[in-house]
Amino acid sequence: MDDLEEENFSLSVSSPKDAEFDCVVGHLEDIIMDEEFQVLQRNFMEKYYKEFEDTEENKLSYTPIFNEYICLVEKYIEDQLLERIPAFNMSAFISSLQSHQQEIAGDIFDILLTFTDFLAFKEMFLDYKAEKEGRGIDLSAGLVVTPLFSSSLSST
Amino acid sequence: MVLLTILKKLKQKEREVRLLMLGLDNAGKTTILKKFNGEDINTISPTLGFNIKTLEHRGFKLNMWDVGGQKSLRSYWRNYFESTDGLIWVVDSADRARLQDCAQELAGLLLEERLAGATLLVFANKQDLPGALSKEDICEALELANIKTHHWCIQGCSAVTGENLLLGIDWLLDDISSRIFTAD
Repeated sequence: MDDLEEENFSLSVSSPKDAEFDCVVGHLEDIIMDEEFQVLQRNFMEKYYKEFEDTEENKLSYTPIFNEYICLVEKYIEDQLLERIPAFNMSAFISSLQSHQQEIAGDIFDILLTFTDFLAFKEMFLDYKAEKEGRGIDLSAGLVVTPLFSSSLSST
Repeated sequence: MVLLTILKKLKQKEREVRLLMLGLDNAGKTTILKKFNGEDINTISPTLGFNIKTLEHRGFKLNMWDVGGQKSLRSYWRNYFESTDGLIWVVDSADRARLQDCAQELAGLLLEERLAGATLLVFANKQDLPGALSKEDICEALELANIKTHHWCIQGCSAVTGENLLLGIDWLLDDISSRIFTAD
Protein backbone atom coordinates (compact mmCIF):
# COMPACT_ATOMS: atom_id res chain seq x y z
CA MET A 1 0.00 0.00 0.00
CA ASP A 2 2.85 2.33 0.83
CA ASP A 3 4.15 1.91 -2.65
CA LEU A 4 0.96 3.22 -4.12
CA GLU A 5 0.82 6.24 -1.87
CA GLU A 6 4.38 7.16 -2.58
CA GLU A 7 4.03 6.82 -6.31
CA ASN A 8 5.89 9.56 -8.01
CA PHE A 9 3.65 11.60 -10.22
CA SER A 10 6.28 14.02 -11.31
CA LEU A 11 6.95 11.95 -14.43
CA SER A 12 3.62 12.91 -15.90
CA VAL A 13 4.32 16.60 -15.49
CA SER A 14 6.00 17.63 -18.68
CA SER A 15 8.01 20.72 -19.32
CA PRO A 16 6.34 23.51 -21.30
CA LYS A 17 8.48 22.58 -24.27
CA ASP A 18 7.35 18.97 -24.17
CA ALA A 19 3.76 20.08 -23.85
CA GLU A 20 4.20 22.27 -26.90
CA PHE A 21 5.65 19.37 -28.84
CA ASP A 22 2.81 17.06 -27.81
CA CYS A 23 0.33 19.71 -28.79
CA VAL A 24 1.75 19.95 -32.32
CA VAL A 25 1.79 16.17 -32.63
CA GLY A 26 -1.86 16.09 -31.57
CA HIS A 27 -2.74 18.62 -34.25
CA LEU A 28 -0.74 16.70 -36.83
CA GLU A 29 -2.87 13.66 -36.12
CA ASP A 30 -6.06 15.68 -36.47
CA ILE A 31 -4.88 17.21 -39.73
CA ILE A 32 -4.05 13.89 -41.34
CA MET A 33 -7.27 12.25 -40.19
CA ASP A 34 -9.41 15.18 -41.29
CA GLU A 35 -11.72 14.65 -44.23
CA GLU A 36 -10.38 17.79 -45.83
CA PHE A 37 -7.02 16.08 -46.20
CA GLN A 38 -8.57 13.05 -47.87
CA VAL A 39 -10.31 15.42 -50.28
CA LEU A 40 -6.98 17.05 -51.05
CA GLN A 41 -5.45 13.63 -51.78
CA ARG A 42 -8.35 12.50 -53.91
CA ASN A 43 -8.34 15.69 -55.94
CA PHE A 44 -4.67 15.25 -56.58
CA MET A 45 -5.13 11.64 -57.67
CA GLU A 46 -8.08 12.59 -59.86
CA LYS A 47 -5.81 15.00 -61.70
CA TYR A 48 -3.09 12.45 -62.48
CA TYR A 49 -4.34 8.89 -62.12
CA LYS A 50 -4.66 8.34 -65.88
CA GLU A 51 -0.89 8.70 -66.17
CA PHE A 52 -0.27 5.68 -63.94
CA GLU A 53 -0.02 2.13 -65.18
CA ASP A 54 0.26 -1.10 -63.30
CA THR A 55 3.65 -2.10 -64.65
CA GLU A 56 6.83 -2.83 -62.77
CA GLU A 57 8.83 -0.21 -64.61
CA ASN A 58 8.00 3.35 -63.66
CA LYS A 59 7.53 6.18 -66.12
CA LEU A 60 9.83 9.17 -65.77
CA SER A 61 6.71 11.32 -65.59
CA TYR A 62 5.83 9.86 -62.17
CA THR A 63 8.76 11.64 -60.55
CA PRO A 64 7.61 15.26 -61.03
CA ILE A 65 4.12 14.20 -59.95
CA PHE A 66 5.62 12.64 -56.84
CA ASN A 67 7.59 15.78 -56.06
CA GLU A 68 4.50 17.91 -56.55
CA TYR A 69 2.62 15.62 -54.16
CA ILE A 70 5.24 15.93 -51.43
CA CYS A 71 5.22 19.73 -51.76
CA LEU A 72 1.43 19.79 -51.66
CA VAL A 73 1.21 17.62 -48.55
CA GLU A 74 3.98 19.51 -46.80
CA LYS A 75 2.45 22.88 -47.57
CA TYR A 76 -0.99 21.69 -46.50
CA ILE A 77 0.31 20.42 -43.18
CA GLU A 78 2.21 23.61 -42.51
CA ASP A 79 -0.75 25.84 -43.41
CA GLN A 80 -3.06 23.79 -41.23
CA LEU A 81 -0.69 23.92 -38.29
CA LEU A 82 -0.44 27.70 -38.66
CA GLU A 83 -4.20 27.93 -38.74
CA ARG A 84 -4.64 25.83 -35.65
CA ILE A 85 -1.67 27.15 -33.66
CA PRO A 86 -1.29 30.88 -34.37
CA ALA A 87 2.23 31.06 -32.95
CA PHE A 88 3.38 27.94 -34.74
CA ASN A 89 6.97 28.01 -35.96
CA MET A 90 8.01 25.24 -38.30
CA SER A 91 11.75 25.55 -37.79
CA ALA A 92 11.31 25.48 -34.00
CA PHE A 93 9.17 22.36 -34.35
CA ILE A 94 11.73 20.72 -36.60
CA SER A 95 14.50 21.36 -34.13
CA SER A 96 12.37 19.95 -31.31
CA LEU A 97 11.87 16.86 -33.49
CA GLN A 98 15.59 16.23 -33.23
CA SER A 99 15.46 16.30 -29.43
CA HIS A 100 12.38 14.06 -29.33
CA GLN A 101 13.89 11.36 -31.49
CA GLN A 102 12.67 8.55 -29.25
CA GLU A 103 9.10 9.71 -29.56
CA ILE A 104 9.02 9.96 -33.31
CA ALA A 105 8.47 6.24 -33.46
CA GLY A 106 4.74 6.90 -33.19
CA ASP A 107 2.11 6.08 -35.80
CA ILE A 108 1.68 9.64 -36.92
CA PHE A 109 5.31 9.89 -37.94
CA ASP A 110 5.09 6.59 -39.77
CA ILE A 111 2.13 7.94 -41.69
CA LEU A 112 3.96 11.17 -42.47
CA LEU A 113 6.91 9.15 -43.70
CA THR A 114 4.84 7.14 -46.14
CA PHE A 115 4.16 10.42 -47.94
CA THR A 116 7.80 10.43 -48.97
CA ASP A 117 7.86 6.78 -50.01
CA PHE A 118 7.70 6.53 -53.78
CA LEU A 119 6.46 2.95 -53.89
CA ALA A 120 3.66 3.71 -51.43
CA PHE A 121 2.78 6.71 -53.60
CA LYS A 122 2.59 4.59 -56.75
CA GLU A 123 0.49 1.99 -54.94
CA MET A 124 -1.93 4.68 -53.81
CA PHE A 125 -2.39 5.83 -57.41
CA LEU A 126 -2.85 2.31 -58.73
CA ASP A 127 -5.47 1.62 -56.06
CA TYR A 128 -7.27 4.81 -56.95
CA LYS A 129 -7.13 3.98 -60.64
CA ALA A 130 -8.47 0.47 -60.03
CA GLU A 131 -11.29 1.97 -58.01
CA LYS A 132 -12.09 4.52 -60.74
CA GLU A 133 -12.14 1.86 -63.39
CA GLY A 134 -14.32 -0.41 -61.32
CA ARG A 135 -11.64 -2.92 -60.59
CA GLY A 136 -11.47 -2.21 -56.89
CA ILE A 137 -12.14 -4.96 -54.43
CA ASP A 138 -15.89 -5.07 -53.95
CA LEU A 139 -16.31 -5.85 -50.30
CA SER A 140 -20.10 -5.69 -50.48
CA ALA A 141 -20.15 -9.13 -52.11
CA GLY A 142 -18.77 -10.57 -48.92
CA LEU A 143 -21.36 -8.86 -46.78
CA VAL A 144 -24.27 -10.98 -45.67
CA VAL A 145 -27.17 -9.37 -43.86
CA THR A 146 -28.86 -11.62 -41.35
CA PRO A 147 -31.84 -10.71 -39.19
CA LEU A 148 -31.18 -10.28 -35.51
CA PHE A 149 -34.08 -12.57 -34.62
CA SER A 150 -34.97 -15.73 -36.45
CA SER A 151 -38.13 -15.48 -38.56
CA SER A 152 -40.03 -17.92 -36.40
CA LEU A 153 -39.78 -15.59 -33.44
CA SER A 154 -40.64 -12.42 -35.32
CA SER A 155 -43.75 -13.83 -36.96
CA THR A 156 -46.86 -12.89 -35.05
CA MET B 1 8.63 23.03 -46.33
CA VAL B 2 11.23 20.60 -45.14
CA LEU B 3 9.32 18.77 -42.41
CA LEU B 4 8.98 15.51 -44.33
CA THR B 5 12.58 15.56 -45.52
CA ILE B 6 13.93 16.10 -42.02
CA LEU B 7 11.67 13.42 -40.65
CA LYS B 8 12.93 11.00 -43.25
CA LYS B 9 16.52 11.73 -42.33
CA LEU B 10 15.84 11.29 -38.63
CA LYS B 11 14.13 7.98 -39.16
CA GLN B 12 16.65 6.71 -41.62
CA LYS B 13 19.27 5.68 -39.17
CA GLU B 14 18.23 2.07 -39.49
CA ARG B 15 21.04 1.29 -41.90
CA GLU B 16 19.13 2.34 -44.95
CA VAL B 17 21.05 3.36 -48.07
CA ARG B 18 20.03 4.75 -51.41
CA LEU B 19 21.95 3.49 -54.42
CA LEU B 20 21.59 5.07 -57.84
CA MET B 21 22.56 2.97 -60.83
CA LEU B 22 23.37 4.82 -64.02
CA GLY B 23 25.26 4.19 -67.25
CA LEU B 24 24.76 4.23 -71.02
CA ASP B 25 21.87 2.25 -72.47
CA ASN B 26 22.51 -1.47 -72.87
CA ALA B 27 25.16 -1.43 -70.14
CA GLY B 28 23.20 -3.98 -68.12
CA LYS B 29 21.82 -1.89 -65.25
CA THR B 30 18.42 -3.54 -65.07
CA THR B 31 19.98 -6.97 -65.45
CA ILE B 32 22.28 -6.27 -62.50
CA LEU B 33 19.33 -5.06 -60.45
CA LYS B 34 17.24 -8.13 -61.24
CA LYS B 35 20.07 -10.59 -60.90
CA PHE B 36 20.96 -9.13 -57.53
CA ASN B 37 17.33 -9.45 -56.51
CA GLY B 38 17.19 -13.07 -57.66
CA GLU B 39 14.76 -12.43 -60.51
CA ASP B 40 14.52 -13.84 -64.02
CA ILE B 41 16.80 -11.92 -66.41
CA ASN B 42 15.77 -13.44 -69.72
CA THR B 43 13.06 -10.99 -70.71
CA ILE B 44 14.55 -7.59 -70.01
CA SER B 45 13.81 -4.85 -72.50
CA PRO B 46 15.42 -1.40 -72.68
CA THR B 47 14.38 0.75 -69.72
CA LEU B 48 12.49 3.86 -70.78
CA GLY B 49 11.66 4.97 -67.25
CA PHE B 50 13.11 3.71 -63.99
CA ASN B 51 13.03 0.69 -61.74
CA ILE B 52 13.21 0.55 -57.97
CA LYS B 53 14.03 -2.42 -55.80
CA THR B 54 14.15 -2.42 -52.07
CA LEU B 55 16.17 -5.29 -50.73
CA GLU B 56 17.82 -6.47 -47.58
CA HIS B 57 21.48 -7.34 -47.63
CA ARG B 58 23.84 -7.81 -44.69
CA GLY B 59 21.39 -6.07 -42.40
CA PHE B 60 21.18 -3.05 -44.68
CA LYS B 61 18.05 -1.90 -46.40
CA LEU B 62 19.06 -1.07 -49.95
CA ASN B 63 16.92 1.23 -52.03
CA MET B 64 18.25 0.67 -55.52
CA TRP B 65 17.22 3.00 -58.32
CA ASP B 66 17.93 2.12 -61.94
CA VAL B 67 17.21 4.82 -64.52
CA GLY B 68 17.16 4.27 -68.29
CA GLY B 69 20.39 5.24 -70.07
CA GLN B 70 19.35 6.19 -73.59
CA LYS B 71 20.69 9.53 -74.70
CA SER B 72 17.26 11.17 -74.65
CA LEU B 73 16.73 10.04 -71.05
CA ARG B 74 20.02 11.20 -69.56
CA SER B 75 18.80 14.73 -68.88
CA TYR B 76 16.30 13.15 -66.45
CA TRP B 77 19.02 11.52 -64.39
CA ARG B 78 19.33 14.62 -62.26
CA ASN B 79 15.83 14.06 -60.88
CA TYR B 80 17.20 11.04 -59.04
CA PHE B 81 20.40 12.47 -57.50
CA GLU B 82 18.92 13.63 -54.20
CA SER B 83 20.04 11.74 -51.09
CA THR B 84 22.14 9.25 -53.05
CA ASP B 85 24.64 7.42 -50.85
CA GLY B 86 26.19 5.31 -53.58
CA LEU B 87 26.46 5.79 -57.34
CA ILE B 88 26.86 2.61 -59.37
CA TRP B 89 28.18 3.36 -62.84
CA VAL B 90 27.66 0.42 -65.16
CA VAL B 91 29.88 -0.02 -68.23
CA ASP B 92 29.42 -2.39 -71.15
CA SER B 93 33.04 -3.54 -71.31
CA ALA B 94 32.54 -4.90 -74.83
CA ASP B 95 31.22 -1.62 -76.23
CA ARG B 96 34.53 -0.10 -77.26
CA ALA B 97 32.91 2.32 -79.68
CA ARG B 98 31.11 4.21 -76.94
CA LEU B 99 33.76 4.17 -74.26
CA GLN B 100 34.53 7.84 -74.82
CA ASP B 101 30.87 8.74 -74.48
CA CYS B 102 30.75 6.63 -71.35
CA ALA B 103 33.75 8.42 -69.83
CA GLN B 104 32.26 11.84 -70.56
CA GLU B 105 28.92 11.04 -68.99
CA LEU B 106 30.58 9.78 -65.84
CA ALA B 107 32.87 12.80 -65.63
CA GLY B 108 29.78 15.01 -65.85
CA LEU B 109 28.08 13.19 -63.00
CA LEU B 110 31.09 13.56 -60.73
CA LEU B 111 30.73 17.34 -61.01
CA GLU B 112 27.16 17.25 -59.76
CA GLU B 113 26.83 18.88 -56.39
CA ARG B 114 24.02 16.61 -55.28
CA LEU B 115 26.21 13.56 -55.89
CA ALA B 116 29.19 15.06 -54.11
CA GLY B 117 28.70 12.89 -51.04
CA ALA B 118 28.20 9.62 -52.92
CA THR B 119 30.62 6.72 -53.11
CA LEU B 120 31.32 5.55 -56.67
CA LEU B 121 31.30 1.91 -57.69
CA VAL B 122 32.11 1.19 -61.34
CA PHE B 123 30.93 -2.14 -62.68
CA ALA B 124 32.96 -3.21 -65.72
CA ASN B 125 30.11 -5.42 -66.84
CA LYS B 126 29.87 -8.15 -69.48
CA GLN B 127 33.21 -9.73 -68.59
CA ASP B 128 31.65 -12.97 -69.87
CA LEU B 129 31.75 -11.65 -73.45
CA PRO B 130 34.84 -12.61 -75.50
CA GLY B 131 35.63 -9.05 -76.69
CA ALA B 132 35.28 -7.43 -73.28
CA LEU B 133 37.96 -5.02 -72.10
CA SER B 134 39.51 -5.78 -68.72
CA LYS B 135 38.65 -3.71 -65.68
CA GLU B 136 42.15 -2.20 -65.93
CA ASP B 137 41.40 -0.99 -69.47
CA ILE B 138 38.08 0.44 -68.38
CA CYS B 139 39.73 2.09 -65.39
CA GLU B 140 42.16 3.81 -67.71
CA ALA B 141 39.54 4.82 -70.25
CA LEU B 142 37.38 6.40 -67.56
CA GLU B 143 40.47 8.00 -65.96
CA LEU B 144 39.35 6.83 -62.56
CA ALA B 145 42.81 7.41 -61.09
CA ASN B 146 42.22 11.15 -61.46
CA ILE B 147 39.14 11.16 -59.27
CA LYS B 148 39.85 13.05 -56.06
CA THR B 149 36.33 14.03 -55.12
CA HIS B 150 34.77 10.63 -54.46
CA HIS B 151 35.71 7.31 -52.92
CA TRP B 152 35.70 4.92 -55.84
CA CYS B 153 36.30 1.30 -56.81
CA ILE B 154 36.07 -0.63 -60.06
CA GLN B 155 34.90 -4.19 -60.24
CA GLY B 156 34.85 -6.47 -63.28
CA CYS B 157 31.59 -8.40 -63.33
CA SER B 158 28.99 -10.23 -65.32
CA ALA B 159 25.35 -9.46 -64.69
CA VAL B 160 24.35 -12.56 -66.62
CA THR B 161 26.36 -15.01 -64.52
CA GLY B 162 26.21 -12.85 -61.41
CA GLU B 163 29.98 -13.01 -61.05
CA ASN B 164 31.44 -10.37 -58.70
CA LEU B 165 28.19 -8.46 -58.27
CA LEU B 166 28.19 -9.15 -54.55
CA LEU B 167 31.84 -8.21 -54.22
CA GLY B 168 31.12 -4.80 -55.69
CA ILE B 169 28.00 -4.15 -53.63
CA ASP B 170 29.79 -5.28 -50.46
CA TRP B 171 32.64 -2.86 -51.06
CA LEU B 172 30.11 -0.09 -51.67
CA LEU B 173 28.25 -0.86 -48.45
CA ASP B 174 31.47 -0.99 -46.46
CA ASP B 175 32.53 2.38 -47.76
CA ILE B 176 29.14 4.01 -47.25
CA SER B 177 28.71 2.63 -43.75
CA SER B 178 32.17 3.71 -42.70
CA ARG B 179 31.35 7.22 -43.88
CA ILE B 180 27.78 7.53 -42.63
CA PHE B 181 26.90 5.20 -39.83
CA THR B 182 30.04 5.56 -37.77
CA ALA B 183 29.62 9.33 -37.82
CA ASP B 184 26.51 9.12 -35.62
